[in-house]
Amino acid sequence: MKLSILAFALKALARRKARALALGGGLAFAVALIAAVIFLTESLRAEAERAHLAQPDIVVQKLVGGRPTTIAAAESAKLVDIPSVRTVTPRVWGYVFLPSLQGNVTIVGTSKGAPPLSLANGVLAEGRDLAPGAHEMIAGAELARFLGMRPGDELGLPTANPDAHALKLVGTFRSALDLYTADVVICDEEDARALLLLPAGDATDLSIALANPAEARVVARTITERLPGARVIERDLLARVYHLAYGRRAGFVLGAAIPALLALLVLAWDRASGIGPDERKEIAVLKAVGWSTSDVLWAKLFESLLVGAGATALGLVLGYAWIFWLGAPGLRPALVGWSVLYPRAALTPAVDFAQLLGIALSVMGPFALLSIVPAWRAATTDPLETMRS
Amino acid sequence: MTHRRAMRIAVALVVSPVLAIVGLGVDAQARRSAKASETPAIDALARRLPSSDLALSGGARWLRSVSLEEPGAAFADGPALPDPDPAGAAMAPPVEVWGR
Repeated sequence: MKLSILAFALKALARRKARALALGGGLAFAVALIAAVIFLTESLRAEAERAHLAQPDIVVQKLVGGRPTTIAAAESAKLVDIPSVRTVTPRVWGYVFLPSLQGNVTIVGTSKGAPPLSLANGVLAEGRDLAPGAHEMIAGAELARFLGMRPGDELGLPTANPDAHALKLVGTFRSALDLYTADVVICDEEDARALLLLPAGDATDLSIALANPAEARVVARTITERLPGARVIERDLLARVYHLAYGRRAGFVLGAAIPALLALLVLAWDRASGIGPDERKEIAVLKAVGWSTSDVLWAKLFESLLVGAGATALGLVLGYAWIFWLGAPGLRPALVGWSVLYPRAALTPAVDFAQLLGIALSVMGPFALLSIVPAWRAATTDPLETMRS
Repeated sequence: MTHRRAMRIAVALVVSPVLAIVGLGVDAQARRSAKASETPAIDALARRLPSSDLALSGGARWLRSVSLEEPGAAFADGPALPDPDPAGAAMAPPVEVWGR
């Protein structure tokens, strides 16, 4: 019986095709927009968290005037004897402005004992790792493409230090790693110091590896006691930063999409505001030929369910295709940025069944429920009176 | 439209969200599995980078490693104000203008 009512509901929608298509289309567009922003944000956050575990357990910076500044590498001697601290490594990295790019590149110095980069471990697209002291560099594929450089070419990066050497490109990162490396130049630590004007004995920050990462909080407290004024960043706490950073980006885009969301509310209002004269007459006829109030209610509920379900499915597929099959045209610049060095690597979905189900239910549930009250009102009126009016 | 055909189409429409969720979930899982093969490369690379932040900035404030720089830095523009770049403006200038 219910299946027959379902079929009747579909035929009723087919009789009011234009209205059903307008409602379904608007709803599908709103679902696609919201789902796409969520898919893209979750994907970016997952990319950042994917590399998160390989980061040092603790990073120590020096603050002057509330802002990070360089720290004396000798400060590491005050930290090596803290229980659970395995290694303390002064790191050298910073930014160099490239006028031709109208943007910054990130210069990263390679300290002794750093893990190798190679074609074999899938990091490099071409070339090899740096040879110490040979004034070489490895650059992101996007940066190398922008500068028109091939392995073997040399580049003199702009710096106020006349002693800084030109660097020879010996390798490029795989473009699949663009999201991490689009603007990165990795070079020898001494070359990085020269480019960044960082005096010998200074470091950008100190990275600390722990024997037991669970003790990070205790070690961090000890570090602040031994280096008053230092800023201690625990790896585990950075996950919160990612949620804030990407959540804020998504918030901006969703804020810009308020007109579309308002359109969704207007659709919902249309559902809630009642049933037109033709529908009233149809309900009266149904009751006159013997349909019960319950049957009429089911028919109206099924009508909403059919439009809501179809539109939700279409919206989810459109949102997913927009981000992961087509590469998020139009939306990607808003969330990823539009610097000249634009990471082009394909995004990987981080969305799971629960999130998809959550989006679907949050749209379909209210949409179907909103149709019950006006349908109940119409179904409980006298059919003769309705037909006469 | 016959009654039987209408019934089939209606049932298909009702279950379409479930089919979409399952289909997209399976596609997402397959893409994640393919990406898992990149994990050793990402691990090796991440150990050489200052942070695991993505290369998303490049604008006015030059905060490339936002997780290391943003939380302790004074607000450059004002609390909760959007950055002009990269996420504050949905409309990008033409690349040739921006790169000039």
